[in-house]
Amino acid sequence: MKADLHSFESLAALDGEGVRYAVFFTGCPLRCVCCHNPDTWHPSGREYESGELARKLRRYRPYFRNGGGVTFSGGEPLLHAAYINEVAALLRDDGIGYALDTSGALPLTDAVRQAVDGADMVLLDVKYPNAKQYAAYTKGDFDTFCRFADYLSETRKRVWYRTVIIPGVNDSEEALDGYLSLLARWNRPEKYELLAFHTMGFYKYEKLGIRNPLCDTPPLDAARLRELQAYLDRRLALSR
Amino acid sequence: MNAWRTFQTGRWTEEIDVRDFINRNFTPYSGDGSFLRGMTARTRSAAERVKKLLIAENEKGGVLDVDTERISSLLAYAPGYIQKGEDLILGLQTDAPLKRAVNPFAGYRNAVQSCEAYGYTINPEITTKFEYRTTHNTGVFRVYTQTMRKARHAGILTGLPDAYARGRIIGDYRRVALYGMDRLIEQKKADKAAVGERDFDMSAETIQLLEDLAKQLEFMEQLKEMAAGYGCDISRPAENTYEAIQWLYFGYLGAIKEQNGAANSIGRISAFIDIYAERDLAEGTLTEEGVQELIDDLVLKLRLVRHLRTPEYNDLFAGDPVWVTCSLAGVSTDGRSMVTKTCFRFLQTLYNLGPSAEPNLTVLWAQSLPQGFKDFCAQVSIDTDSIQYENDDVMRGMYGDDYAIACCVSAMKVGKQMQYFGARCNLAKVLLMALNGGKDEKFGEQIAPAGKVFDEKPLVYEEVLEAYKKYASWMANLYVKTMNIIHYMHDKYAYERLMMSLHDTDVERLMAFGISGMSVLADSLSAIKYAKVTPVKDERGIITDFVTEGDFPKFGNDDDRVDDIAKWVVEYFYQELCKTKAYRGARHTLSILTITSNVMYGKKTGSTPDGRKEGEPFAPGANPMHGRDAEGALASLNSVAKLDYRCCQDGISNTFSVTPETLGRTNGDRVRTLTTMLDGYFAQDAHHLNVNVLNRQKLIDAMNDPTLYPSLTIRVSGYAVNFHKLTREKQEEVISRTFHEKL
Repeated sequence: MKADLHSFESLAALDGEGVRYAVFFTGCPLRCVCCHNPDTWHPSGREYESGELARKLRRYRPYFRNGGGVTFSGGEPLLHAAYINEVAALLRDDGIGYALDTSGALPLTDAVRQAVDGADMVLLDVKYPNAKQYAAYTKGDFDTFCRFADYLSETRKRVWYRTVIIPGVNDSEEALDGYLSLLARWNRPEKYELLAFHTMGFYKYEKLGIRNPLCDTPPLDAARLRELQAYLDRRLALSR
Repeated sequence: MNAWRTFQTGRWTEEIDVRDFINRNFTPYSGDGSFLRGMTARTRSAAERVKKLLIAENEKGGVLDVDTERISSLLAYAPGYIQKGEDLILGLQTDAPLKRAVNPFAGYRNAVQSCEAYGYTINPEITTKFEYRTTHNTGVFRVYTQTMRKARHAGILTGLPDAYARGRIIGDYRRVALYGMDRLIEQKKADKAAVGERDFDMSAETIQLLEDLAKQLEFMEQLKEMAAGYGCDISRPAENTYEAIQWLYFGYLGAIKEQNGAANSIGRISAFIDIYAERDLAEGTLTEEGVQELIDDLVLKLRLVRHLRTPEYNDLFAGDPVWVTCSLAGVSTDGRSMVTKTCFRFLQTLYNLGPSAEPNLTVLWAQSLPQGFKDFCAQVSIDTDSIQYENDDVMRGMYGDDYAIACCVSAMKVGKQMQYFGARCNLAKVLLMALNGGKDEKFGEQIAPAGKVFDEKPLVYEEVLEAYKKYASWMANLYVKTMNIIHYMHDKYAYERLMMSLHDTDVERLMAFGISGMSVLADSLSAIKYAKVTPVKDERGIITDFVTEGDFPKFGNDDDRVDDIAKWVVEYFYQELCKTKAYRGARHTLSILTITSNVMYGKKTGSTPDGRKEGEPFAPGANPMHGRDAEGALASLNSVAKLDYRCCQDGISNTFSVTPETLGRTNGDRVRTLTTMLDGYFAQDAHHLNVNVLNRQKLIDAMNDPTLYPSLTIRVSGYAVNFHKLTREKQEEVISRTFHEKL
């Protein structure tokens, strides 16, 4: 089987545990207003056979100690769930595991369930904590996301939540409370990372000729991010 | 007091064998850095003095003072101190700190020019003396052939040590401490007597060796006298930690008073010193503070080592480096970690005294080193950007467990091997020469035998390869012959008497060749093979440019299609070098290392088929070309790891910059990522990695406002520099290098 890939990052230490090799797929159904990578929305024309990708990934085995491995990211990697399952099968004998970096916006097909079941961990993008905001800022369906998160919880998957904090949208303690009340229905995550909205991907919108809905939004201040993260960590510790 | 009390005896007590002493007596340490101590009040005061001196030196344009009245030697100067009474480890190169000596033995003109560049004039009496004396430089140019001169002029062979001293020889300075000079002198005398008897014919080689030994003996006596000037009797062995450090430092100091070679490294001294420290700690005569204070003071002295250089020399080796390379850690051949507390103590100097380019702290990394040490090293890299890593698991098999690194990446068995240093050959130019039928693309001069000039039609890979092989083979032969002349003359006119006296008499010689432009050549051949490359000729009919259409695999992306070409380039050139016999029975070795001269090599090289334009810098060492490694840091490391150390036994240098944020969000994550990365890279038999953990913006800010980060130290190519000692041009080149960054 083939898949269209956007790019590779061989040192992706931020996307899961240990040293990770990130594979970025193209295609995503969400169209989030805050997307940093609009260049992954459409196929790149660079297709890889599953065997070819597995061969490439095996080369990084020496770095996958201390819990490291592959991270399938994107775009939305689960659009390519069947392909991921094929690659994962090829890597299983080498002891190379993978993480999924997903927004959980897809229905739970058999292939998606298999991809989730096979993953060492899931980095779950919690876009917005309610149906209203979810609809306002993405093209996804909030219930579909919740069912995906339910499944992770039911199967006791290792999960790191992540949320992009956007000035003027969700950069307040009250906004975080909203996320926390949503999260309360699921197992406690191992980590909940807040990521700063930044403007370094703006050039991509211009290059691609796509309208950037947040073009007037400033990047989130690093100190403010630390404050919010500290608040979140405190609340998470208290709530359980 | 018996100097060897409590030491486990063995072969080392009967013969000169420092390795045996270390192996029988060192104490591996598997803990972390929590035992380490900060500066004492005395160290703080000494460090403060040195800081002021360094500022003064910088304000005077890089040279604080020059002694133009005398020629450097062991006994030329009165004893010098930073502050008499306060210095613990005694001895300076001249009578005052940072005052540079005049050392004209490798080349007199060079010495004069070095002085003039900084507004000094050598005493005319010295000039008169040197009118009657042949220097190394004069000797070489007496016999250089026309072709050698042309190759040198065109910049195909560059940086050759034909006008400056070769360096890269490591005396076994530990011998001075362990045995004392009298025992060493006695041994040398016995050796000399035996050599005089063993050759039936009394061949030229034997006569040369006998004369060498006589010179060595003369300088061994002088070393004793030099130490006596500081009130120390080094005729006897050292009895405690202080003396062990002081004695070995005297050995080193004598060597650099005599010689101003490019790199004078200090060797592998940490386990050796640690044995004395462990004993003093056990005997209660020294505390941890005391040991650290001695190491701090030794390092402070090593940070003051200076030689007088010409501005042209600084073009090759930017930042006034002296490569006091100090090799730490490694594993013994019987599998014990050679990490001792003193390895930590040397690294600790970067916190106590602040980050620094010198001494060039080099960690001999092995998979089995204790995690506490690995983590500490990674932390030091993240905090200071001052250390480099070399793969002990690869080198141990070839060099045993008592080798050290000279300069950047050159391994040699301490006291048993020496090196004839040979700068490097510009392989990118060799390709251009092959396409131009032996003519140089810049000067248009016929350098190599005339051959086919390629047409302005798309290049055919097989044809290009055939021409390249022919010229690379010719080049390799010329290179060895040139080196043979250089080292014959260096041995004759600028022999390293003291350094060689601290080697075995029957020393093994390595002749270290080098290549530059490896990644430019690999990418160029890849472009010819996988894209369409059409040469463009100028009005002289010489190919000076290329039209490259289509994409092609580039070195640095873990892509075998081009990485195999890179491997082949190196293997082929090494194999061709070995076909020409090297002077004095030396064994050929090869390095992929450019120091900072990748900028200068680029300047001397026309446009290349990979799309690099005329004059643009090469990548340093074995690095992929800037910005072409598109799949991130590990892909880039994997490509370099494929180059085979077996044909590059003089080292494969890779310089790596990564932003702290890319390594992880927390400090703990960053340390873990870095150690995992080093383990993964070296597990693939890679050889060397310079690690910088910093942001490009920090360098840009530092370039624009030098007061922001006055001690900003970065690893450039097998050594570290203070960023502010680089010229603007080199700063810009460093900034343009790939910074592995993940947002």
